[in-house]
Amino acid sequence: MKLSRIALLAALCGIVSAVGIRAWQRVGNFGFGSDDSPSNVKAEFYWSRLSYTSSLSSYGGYGGGYFGRSSWARDYPKADRQFLIAMHRLTRIDGRPYEQVVNLDSDDIFNYPWIYAVQVQTWSFTDAEAKRLHDYLLKGGFLMVDDFHGTEDWDNFMRGMRQVLRDSPVEDLQSNDEIFHTLYDVDDKMQIPGEHYIRTHRTYEKDGYQPKWRAIRDKDGRIMVAICHNMHLGDAWEWADDPYYPEPFASMAFRVGLDYILYGMTH
Amino acid sequence: MFPLLFKYPSTVFAKGHLVFLSRWPVWLLPLLVVLAVVGLGALIRYRLRQIKPYRNETPAMTHRRAWSVWALQSALVTLILLLLWQPALSVAELSSQQNIIAVVVDDSRSMATADADGKPRVDGALNALRGGVLDGLNKRFHTRLYTLDSKLTKVDSLNGVVASGSATHLGDGLQQLATETADLPVGAVVLLTDGSENSAGLGGSGISLAAMQALRNRRLPVHTVAFGSEKPLHDLEMEDVSVAPNAVVNARTIASLTFVQHGYANQQATLTIRDGDRTLAAKSITLQRDGVMQTEPLFFSAGEAGARTLVFSVEPFADESNAKNNALTRPVLVRDAKRRILYVEGEPRWQFRFLRRAEEDDPSVQIVSMLRTSENKIYRQGISGPDELADGFPSKAEDLFAYSGIIIGSVAADYFTPAQQELIREYVDRRGGGVLFLGGRQSLSDGGWTASSLNELMPTFLPAGTNHFKRNAAVVNLTDAGVASPTTRLLEDPQKNAERWRKLTYLADFEDPGSAKPGATVLAEMSSGGKRMPFLITQNYGNGRTAILASGGTWRWQMSEALGDPSHNLFFQQLLRWLVADTPGAVSVNTSARTLSDTGHIDITATVHDKQFQPARDAHVIAHVTGPAGVDAALEMKPSQETPGLYSASYTAEKAGPYLTEVTATSDKDELGRDTATFQREDGVAEAFHTEANPKLLDQLARDTGGSAWAGNNLKNLPRDISYSEAGISVRSIKELWNMPIVLVLLLALPLAEWLMRRKWGVV
Repeated sequence: MKLSRIALLAALCGIVSAVGIRAWQRVGNFGFGSDDSPSNVKAEFYWSRLSYTSSLSSYGGYGGGYFGRSSWARDYPKADRQFLIAMHRLTRIDGRPYEQVVNLDSDDIFNYPWIYAVQVQTWSFTDAEAKRLHDYLLKGGFLMVDDFHGTEDWDNFMRGMRQVLRDSPVEDLQSNDEIFHTLYDVDDKMQIPGEHYIRTHRTYEKDGYQPKWRAIRDKDGRIMVAICHNMHLGDAWEWADDPYYPEPFASMAFRVGLDYILYGMTH
Repeated sequence: MFPLLFKYPSTVFAKGHLVFLSRWPVWLLPLLVVLAVVGLGALIRYRLRQIKPYRNETPAMTHRRAWSVWALQSALVTLILLLLWQPALSVAELSSQQNIIAVVVDDSRSMATADADGKPRVDGALNALRGGVLDGLNKRFHTRLYTLDSKLTKVDSLNGVVASGSATHLGDGLQQLATETADLPVGAVVLLTDGSENSAGLGGSGISLAAMQALRNRRLPVHTVAFGSEKPLHDLEMEDVSVAPNAVVNARTIASLTFVQHGYANQQATLTIRDGDRTLAAKSITLQRDGVMQTEPLFFSAGEAGARTLVFSVEPFADESNAKNNALTRPVLVRDAKRRILYVEGEPRWQFRFLRRAEEDDPSVQIVSMLRTSENKIYRQGISGPDELADGFPSKAEDLFAYSGIIIGSVAADYFTPAQQELIREYVDRRGGGVLFLGGRQSLSDGGWTASSLNELMPTFLPAGTNHFKRNAAVVNLTDAGVASPTTRLLEDPQKNAERWRKLTYLADFEDPGSAKPGATVLAEMSSGGKRMPFLITQNYGNGRTAILASGGTWRWQMSEALGDPSHNLFFQQLLRWLVADTPGAVSVNTSARTLSDTGHIDITATVHDKQFQPARDAHVIAHVTGPAGVDAALEMKPSQETPGLYSASYTAEKAGPYLTEVTATSDKDELGRDTATFQREDGVAEAFHTEANPKLLDQLARDTGGSAWAGNNLKNLPRDISYSEAGISVRSIKELWNMPIVLVLLLALPLAEWLMRRKWGVV
């Protein structure tokens, strides 16, 4: 081909691809809510489970049996599904019936203002991840952490937490705190055990004898991190349908969970 | 020249009436004239027919020539017939030595301005008077000298006249003259002024109707003598400032400054707003053509609560002839009373939470919310006590009308009973509140609002059908109205603000609100999938206002923009401030003026409503006025006979300075409410404005009263012409016209012309 024709063709390809890239840039930014396929249900509230980098990730890895699963996925997805059934039945929240997994690798997490994380004694953050979680919480995100027991777990949890929020104090929640009265009045709280209770009849794990309901507040006094230490709400949701798991624990777990979600959606 | 030909000056012909002194009936004159003219014509025609020209010879008397002869002869006959009836002019003339001429000199400060020739105007007036006018007048009349600024003062001689008056009130002064000299034979008024009248508003004519009536009743002609040049050479003058008298704490407020300039076209000028020493706002603008009134908007933050006096000015240029007319002051009252907004939400959603969080930072607005958390539970926040909203949405007027605004979220229309829906409509229409509708799963058309009775409150025509709420991305842009509006102003600069809106992250969801109604304003639009829809629409309805924000997904502006970006919070704070800013309280005060110039009288009116927001007829209303230098007064306000709920009182502000009025209304020991208004009195400020001469006003004044307008340097005929007036002691004199030089000239000239023409044609 003649040189001029090659040049023309190249220019044309360049223009077409530039337009295409520009078009994709305008549309490709619309990540959240852009999936209109029939299998994707869109809702107001997405139950979002935080998938973090575990410091114990060398512990088996994927697909190696129960102990091999990553710790963030403890009770996933049955706990999530059961909880969402309760939320759909007991509140007017327009929630998606299945869970969403979010991580700190992209800005997509900002589309889910309420997130839940378990086994947080194993979490650790890179600088970028810590900054993202810090921004997330300060802009208005709400984090609920659950299922870690004893003093050693607490220290490991706080090590990760201090990477994100360096100075914010952790305080105990009182019974009359608003977070326990948004939907249900949860006045008498008890320690909610995991499913091991069926076999051991012990409500505690490791050395976490007393349940600790704690929180970290923002500068206006609103709770942004709700900490459930020495208890296992996730299991209570997951095993609520088991005939041997006591109903009082399961009901209280649901009530507390719904109160926390409604606090997050009203404060 | 005129008197040479016509024997009397032109004023006589202007003012006099034509009369015939002969005793013969007047109708005979035109009859005879017509007969004579027709007879002459017939005669000439008869003669013309008799002429038979020889062949090859043009007749000496053609038709055209014959008829020109006829014209001349008819004119002569008409003139003689007219003279037979003895025409005369009847004109009223002032009798000598029996009348007074009032000479009024304007001695206000505007007369001290030196015009093009460097001499102050007042000097020109005094020189004209001393240079012959007074002497001429004194020959036949008595003269009385007066000076005029804000009022009329009699003076004995011109020696003490100094141009220092603080205001010019020409109309009031002339009216005062007419009434003061009611029993004196004043024949005419000579007014020496530049015409810059201070009581003229923007575009007013200046002389009040009462003054004109007083002058006409006495038939006083005003001879005006204008001084001063009409166009100032180099001047920038602030004409008017328009700013709301009330503002909410820290609200972004808009002021409109109108100004006029001469000699600085296309240059840059700086507009500023100052509060004491602090500059609240400054903007640089380009001046338009000379003499064109230019209006520029300026935004500023209202700041903390209190009664403030703001100075709106345009920085003066170095070579301005008058630098005192560049600033105007206005009192502004910034209120800090918390406005409570009722927010009804049908389902827990993120928009609810982020809107509450945005308003927690705004101390002037408090959100009282009721959220349907489950089918039968309502979660209340922001309530003042356990009884507030205990029964859900208020069903009684006094409960609902206590709120300044209502926000309706994702709530279906049938959640409200028909009585509650009617109450909401009354809330907007009668009570003057604001209602904001948010888009959501059960909002607008998806919530059955199209078929509800509140459809007329909506600022848009809601689209038919349901399924308009979509959880898809939509991008928002400002419309032209939104670029100019303070509600959507995230950044000071309008261009940067529009850019900021373009770059805002997308919405999480949107709902198609339909097309805007004719009276509604679309401040922002959104587009999704190629379709453009209105996003933020506002309108006024009855005494209140309604708006639609067609999305439940604005929370992404808080979560997905950078940490610390104030866009989301600022937008909602401004939107809700707009929603409640104009909602009236139970008591609302108005004053007849906000700035009193050199006068103290002010009327204070208050509109009082009871708890159901009906006009309160039997309230006890007191106005408490505090002013500068310890002025303190309590006035009882009287109810109006015509309008129920309207109470009024009058007050005279003696001293210059800012004043504060607080009006309290009570009924049966229950306080219905209170309101505050501010006004100020300025002395001597108005005289610095409008210092250019206003000859049009003086022409109008002279013409309406029967006098004449004179120029300052051409007054030699004034003493003569002034005596033709119907005021004072005047006599109707008859001036005969038969011996006017022009008449005699015509009597000679007409036959002579005819004879000359005939000789030329060879007919005689």
